[in-house]
Parts: sequence; C-alpha cells; structure tokens
Amino acid sequence: MTAVPPSTIGGDPGAATRPGRLARAELIGEPMPREAKLAKALVELADTLVADFDVVEMLSRLTDHCVEVLDVDAAGIMLADPDGSLRALASSSETMRLLELFEIQSQEGPCLDCYRTGQTVINRDLTTSDDRWPRFAAEARAAGFGSVHALPMRLRGAVIGALNLFHIAPGRMTQADVDAGQALADIATIAILQHRAAHEAQLLNEQLDNALNTRVVIEQAKGMIAEHEGLDLEASFLRLRNHARSHNLRLADVAAAITDGATSPASLDPLPTKK
Amino acid sequence: MAGERRRRILAALSSGGGPEVGTRRLCEVCAEITHTSGAGIMLMSGDVSRGSICTTDEVSALIEQLQYDLGEGPCIDAFRTDVAVLEPDLANPTVARWLAFTDPAVAAGARAVFGFPLRVGGVRLGAMNLYDRHPGPLTDDQHADALIMAEVAAQSVLTLQAGALPGTLATELTTGADFRYVVHQAAGMVAVQLGVSVGEALVRLRAHAFGNGRSLTDVATAVVARRLRFPHDDTETGTTR
Repeated sequence: MTAVPPSTIGGDPGAATRPGRLARAELIGEPMPREAKLAKALVELADTLVADFDVVEMLSRLTDHCVEVLDVDAAGIMLADPDGSLRALASSSETMRLLELFEIQSQEGPCLDCYRTGQTVINRDLTTSDDRWPRFAAEARAAGFGSVHALPMRLRGAVIGALNLFHIAPGRMTQADVDAGQALADIATIAILQHRAAHEAQLLNEQLDNALNTRVVIEQAKGMIAEHEGLDLEASFLRLRNHARSHNLRLADVAAAITDGATSPASLDPLPTKK
Repeated sequence: MAGERRRRILAALSSGGGPEVGTRRLCEVCAEITHTSGAGIMLMSGDVSRGSICTTDEVSALIEQLQYDLGEGPCIDAFRTDVAVLEPDLANPTVARWLAFTDPAVAAGARAVFGFPLRVGGVRLGAMNLYDRHPGPLTDDQHADALIMAEVAAQSVLTLQAGALPGTLATELTTGADFRYVVHQAAGMVAVQLGVSVGEALVRLRAHAFGNGRSLTDVATAVVARRLRFPHDDTETGTTR
C-alpha cells in the first residue's frame, strides 16, 4: 500500500466525519480531573501480568486514553518490525483515512522521524505547506487535521516505535500534554518489552523441553534396537541415524516411531557392511 | 534491596570464570550466596525430573538422584506447587513427607533441605535444591537471597539454551550435567525384553531398583551392560504380569 492516490483519500471531504473522537461513544458521568484520568490510564496500562494480556488490546486502550487525557482528536501507535519498518498496531478510530495516514508513515512522516531519531515531534503545523513530508502532510490535511505530533516509545537506548497524535486545530500540545503523553507511551513500552521477554522465555523453555524429550526418545529407541537386534548401543544409534538419513527422515521422528511401536527395529535398514 | 541481592549474585557469577559462566559455577554460587552446604539444579519436563544440570558435591548429587529415582522430594514439590518447599529438620520433620527420600538423604548428611522453583515469568523449568549439614531454618536473608538466586539461575539456563540449535541442548547445559540417558536406554531394552511400552518398562526398572535398595542408574547400567535381564515372568521386580 505505497501508492494510494491522494485523490482517493481526500476526494470527498464533505462526506467524512471528523476523524477519531466523534467516531467513539462519548463518556458519560462526572468529568474526572486530568491527573485522575492519567493515573487511571497508567494503572490500567501497567496491568500486563493478567493471564489474557494482549498487546494489541493494550495499545488500543492506550490510544483511547490519549484522546481522553491529552484532548487530542486521534491517536495511533506504530511499532517497528524486526526488520525496522514501522507498522500501525492500534488507533483510536478505525476510519480508513486515519489508517492510511499511518500506512504512509512507513515511507515518510512524523512517526518515522521520531522512530529514527528517538526525538519528539511536537505541534507540527500541517496547514502551512510542509516539504519535509509532502505526501503525508497533504493527506493529513485532506483528512481534516491541522497539526500532528509523535512521541517516541523507548526504553533506555531502544526505540521500538512511536505514539502518533493528531489535532484538528493547528498547534495545541502544551509541555504538560507532552509529559503526560510520554508517560503513557513509556508505560506501554515497558508492557510491550515485558511481554516480549515473557514470550521469549516461553519459546526458549519449549525448545529446552523439546530438546530434552527428543534426546530421551532417541535413547529409548537405541535401547529397543540394541535389545531387538542384538547390537551394542553405538551400533544401534548408527543404524537409527543411517535409516533416518537414507529415508530423509528426522532422527527424532524415526526414534518416536520405534518407541511407540509404529516401526519395528527389525525393519530399519541394515548398516552398510564395512570393507 | 532486591537489586542489591541480584548485584551480589551476578558479581559472584562473573568472579568465577568471566562472562561464559558454566553451570558448575552457577551451582557453586547457589550454595555460596545462600550460605548452605550444597546446591543442585534440576530440570523438569511435564511433571518428571529430566536430571540435573549441576551439583556442588556428592550429597547434593545424591539428593537429586533420589528425587529422580523416587519422584518425590523438595525439588519435585517445589516445581509442582510453584512455591518454595522448606524442610529445616529432615531427620525430625513436623510433617512426615517423602517417605522413601528422607532416610537415605539424612544418612548422606542432609539435615535440612530446601527446594525453590526455577521460573521466568510464567515459565517453569525446574527447581534449585539447597541442603545443609545442620538442621535449622533459612533466615529471612537467606530465603530472600535464595528466591533471587533461583530467578537468576532460571534466566541463566534459558540464556544458555538460547544459543543451541533447534532440537538440541546447548553444550553449556550438557557439560557436567547428568540427564541419566542410561536409564532411558535401559527402558528401551527392558521394553523389548518384556514386550511392554517404554513407559511401563521405566516403572519396572524403578520398582526393581527400589525393591533391591539400588539406585535406578545402577540398575539401568546393569541392564545396558547385559548383566541384568527382565524376563517375562520376572518375580525379582516384585510385579507379576
């Protein structure tokens, strides 16, 4: 999706609703002070140890919190792939316009700059012509936005993506807004990195378990071949390995077929006779 | 506080051989940091012990061997329950548990035994075993160090395994380890001798070892050396078919 013609995106501004905020249900009840909203958001985002933790769900909530706490009109999260290209993971609204604005940013835009430099991009006015991101600026304007911001998602040295914020009016982010936004981005970053570490531990443990079990099955099969064929363990292993190689099978699979009785030790290819 | 404990553990690990910390040093640090007489690290798979990757001395090796053979003991309980299992006076326990494990462990010199689960986040991979020649509970300080030590040990095991090819164990984990492959070789042989599954053969081997007061490894070694056979009507095992 690199070549969406601007005419497609900006072609019918009248029909488009305001992006982001209005697409969502309005909150009902007493307005909460901003500090309370922020605290609630931070606690909710930090709750990553629950069993059904889901990164995309958490990031979707982060974008909703941004709209609510920072008084922006739309928000989105872009995270880097293993190869370093940015992908949109979540946004406060699923309007095509907004999604396309994220897509462009794998090529150019505030998120890409923010990800590459690790620096915040604040109050970038889109109403004046912008030659830094010509395509992005034109399409953002066509979508009805006046200003854009990007905050890095980083922990220590590593930048893993960026939080993208949009205002309909130009300007508007105060230093307090930026600080609150960065706090939200930081908590989300920690949650993502913790989740990745836990996931990695899970994978490594499965590999360890698999390696231990594979080895056990091979030793069991060696014992069965040794007893059945009257061979020593070394010759039994060579026969197992020889059979696996000549039939293009995995050693572990042949061993498992022996131990579960699907293959008789006698049916393994005999070892080639040495001269 | 936890940071300070962790720092001391990492310093102790790196003092004994640089960044390439072997599992032997890992076990030594387990004992040093917790001020206990010896330590061992056991890997578990499913609900069974796969053997130990290191032990500091003969007593801790025996403690791990007994648990492997008998399927009971502090490490097995720690792994299954996912909490530290503490027996400060193994010779006079307040609650009788580990009926087969206790006597030989005490006879070997283990008067207090402690098992701590090895886990990283929600992942459980085994248990750290500590023993002491003198009865007595761990102090709060020892206990806190042991918890962090178990965490570092678990992370170290996974980090070592991260370098291995898929389907294989990292060399660093196998060096000095005892995964008791001979037991599985013997189980394969006995399965053919008795015409039973390898799982049942393993049960028969265990029964024979326990019934004759021998270690499972001893019995398995005798089978593999063809000094011991399990005929179909074997009565020596105590089980008849």
